Amino acid sequence: MSTSPTTTPTPTQPDAGWRQKHLLDVDALSLDEIQLVMRTTDAMKEVLSRPIAKVPALRGTNVTILFYEASTRTRVSFEVAAKNLSADVVNIAASTSSVTKGESLVDTIRTVEALGADMIVMRHGTSGAPYLAAEVFSGSILNGGDGWHAHPSQALLDLYTMRAHLGDVRGKKVVILGDILHSRVARSNLWSLTASGADLWLCAPSTLLRGFDAWAGRWAGGGAPGHAGFHVTSDVDAALRDADVVMALRLQRERMDAGLLPSLREYSARFGLTRERLAGARPDALVMHPGPMNEGVEIAPDVAILDRSVITEQVTNGVAVRMALLYLLAGGHPEAVTNA
Amino acid sequence: MHELRVGEVVPLLEISRAWLVDPVSRREGPGEVVVRDGILEAVTWLKGAAADGIGPDGVLVLPGLIDLHVHLREPGNEDAETVASGLAAAAHGGFTTVCAMPNTTPAADEPSVLARVAGAAAASGSPVELLAHGAVTVGRAGERLAALGELADAGVVGFSDDGSPVKSATLLRNALLYAGMLGLPIVEHVEDATLTSGAEANEGLVATILGLKGWPPAAEIAAAERAIAVLDSVRADATGARLHLTHLSTAGALAAVRRAKAAGLPVTCDVTPHHLGFTDEWVAGARRWAWEALDESGVARDPWADGALVAHPYATACRVNPPLRGAADAAACLAALVDGTADAVVTDHAPHTAVDKETEFGLAVNGISGLETAVGVLLAAVAAGRLSLARAVAALTVGPAAVMGSRPGRRGAARGLVEGAPADLVVVDAGDDWRVTPEALASRGKNTPLLGRELPGRVLVTLAQGRLAYQDPSERA
Ligand SMILES: [Zn+2]
Repeated sequence: MSTSPTTTPTPTQPDAGWRQKHLLDVDALSLDEIQLVMRTTDAMKEVLSRPIAKVPALRGTNVTILFYEASTRTRVSFEVAAKNLSADVVNIAASTSSVTKGESLVDTIRTVEALGADMIVMRHGTSGAPYLAAEVFSGSILNGGDGWHAHPSQALLDLYTMRAHLGDVRGKKVVILGDILHSRVARSNLWSLTASGADLWLCAPSTLLRGFDAWAGRWAGGGAPGHAGFHVTSDVDAALRDADVVMALRLQRERMDAGLLPSLREYSARFGLTRERLAGARPDALVMHPGPMNEGVEIAPDVAILDRSVITEQVTNGVAVRMALLYLLAGGHPEAVTNA
Repeated sequence: MHELRVGEVVPLLEISRAWLVDPVSRREGPGEVVVRDGILEAVTWLKGAAADGIGPDGVLVLPGLIDLHVHLREPGNEDAETVASGLAAAAHGGFTTVCAMPNTTPAADEPSVLARVAGAAAASGSPVELLAHGAVTVGRAGERLAALGELADAGVVGFSDDGSPVKSATLLRNALLYAGMLGLPIVEHVEDATLTSGAEANEGLVATILGLKGWPPAAEIAAAERAIAVLDSVRADATGARLHLTHLSTAGALAAVRRAKAAGLPVTCDVTPHHLGFTDEWVAGARRWAWEALDESGVARDPWADGALVAHPYATACRVNPPLRGAADAAACLAALVDGTADAVVTDHAPHTAVDKETEFGLAVNGISGLETAVGVLLAAVAAGRLSLARAVAALTVGPAAVMGSRPGRRGAARGLVEGAPADLVVVDAGDDWRVTPEALASRGKNTPLLGRELPGRVLVTLAQGRLAYQDPSERA
């Protein structure tokens, strides 16, 4: 797969290096840094293709995986990634209920540091929690998802997967369909895709899009420096028309309890990704989903298994991207991976 | 001034070549004051050559300031603040009268709690006058009226369930009637809780981008409109009924007050320094003043596009109820102060422990420690040409006194620069910046997003009732 970073001449740019101590969100990354993650992921994919998919790059490094929310997929993905790099992995399943028992996040981070953590991969149900952890931890924090806010490794693996099929995503129509309001995946993808010049469309029922229309309006004339604008709509057919990528998001039952939607049935009828709807997209449009899927709700079972569905590939690329992120945060250089 | 301790009568204090502001006589200009044996012996207004070079950007002499809305946390949460530390913070901020809110544990819903607080104030030795609001309902639970008459007899200056609104509109109506009979205002925290369940940050661009649950301005506007409608409904039955809406933060609620005042309703309101000086972009990490965050057409600028994010996002010091709003709402707070719609500036001083603030943004308690930075924020607005010094001083003296319905001789009455009266004044060097640090704050609550920042207006000396309340360390001879 792809070109070897060691043989690709890269133009030397003064700011082309990795400058992040932590990875809290993709909004902090320059386009150069995003490209660097992509190149490093290429190298990690090469490692994964070997009979023994393991390099000693992080030998002696303690990676603590601290999850305040249950998420087997993401936790295992990080764990496999860290082990492939020969890191010592410690898993901690914390619960936010321990907060009420008196152990604060700050106490926990200090304890984890005292126990030898060099890096913490953190998942937390509260937006911004990794920023607090980063203030007290002397090592690196890698945000594995915080509240509604950010899920940078997911956005970068999504981008990697798109690029593997489409080449450059610049000008490509990418649709994110689903519960945008409560989605850290959507927010992080918004930064990485607009930074990469994609033609991004966010599509959801109006109750699950609140605030995004104003954000899109704000960015219409050029948003954050270097970022493209994006579109917001509740018209699924308009969103899907000639799309190159369609990513469906998980819909949670709590949205009905909160009075945001009448019913799952109605959501699936109006906003579910079906073959009929997908017919409006380009014939080779990629189908993506960050998982876990509610088949029959936000995505029809026969769509998830289409040839153009790259949902399982997202999972595989997830390991490679997370290896790349752990490696870069530990101070590694992409050119050195194959010799590491 | 020789080495004096807090609480001692000031034997002699002469301040020459200062800029005096007297909101009672509506006069300001170059002058000198002499305090002898605790009495403001002489106030001299300078003219001609003697006044040369004296301006409002130098040493100011103001009457002691009044804050209608502080949380001193005693009894119940003395780790966050005590009456003594709160009064020390007040004096450092230039305040000589503060009104404590009743949301302590237990709540000040009957006179014994007030007596305990008054005892702590006396024991502190501070000459700062501590007044109190009583609770509207028992335990602030919103179900039964508190001992309003007994609280009035004990000297409260108003009633409030602050921290939350009076939950039922029927109770609010009855409270307005009953408090009106007693000649006291209901001080209402206006918030429609059905719109703010789980809310974290002002609904808008910042909350959307940061993934925080929106706290809509509509929650305040709807509750303000409702409270005003309820007030209107009792006017015929209770001519004494008065409604004061505290810490308004939205253009919509302030517009509602403006309309109500124009219609002759007995409604007053206040705004805070943080709602007129800070904005929701501070939650994202910006630290520019609210008036710097507006574009020419009065629309909030985008701190991401401007590269204005200089601090960590999600700083819990920025978490407050009502939340820091957008720049347009902050401008509306300032405009309401300028045009008099807002009768007073209050700090809503809400000290918290580090433990309660050093946590995830979504789990952090609401509140900003504000007594010691209010003058600085207002002077920054004055320096930016957004506010007159006279108006700022009025909103911290005669404005709040009028809200309390002060009559001559009554506690909390505004003290102008009156010769022959006990000295009650603050000396501020508007030309001397000071850095807000945990050590510089007398309050136990270090929870302010201004930490680390230079503010204009060092308070040099505060005198209350002729006694020393605060003296800057550099002024001690
Ligand atoms: Zn309040």
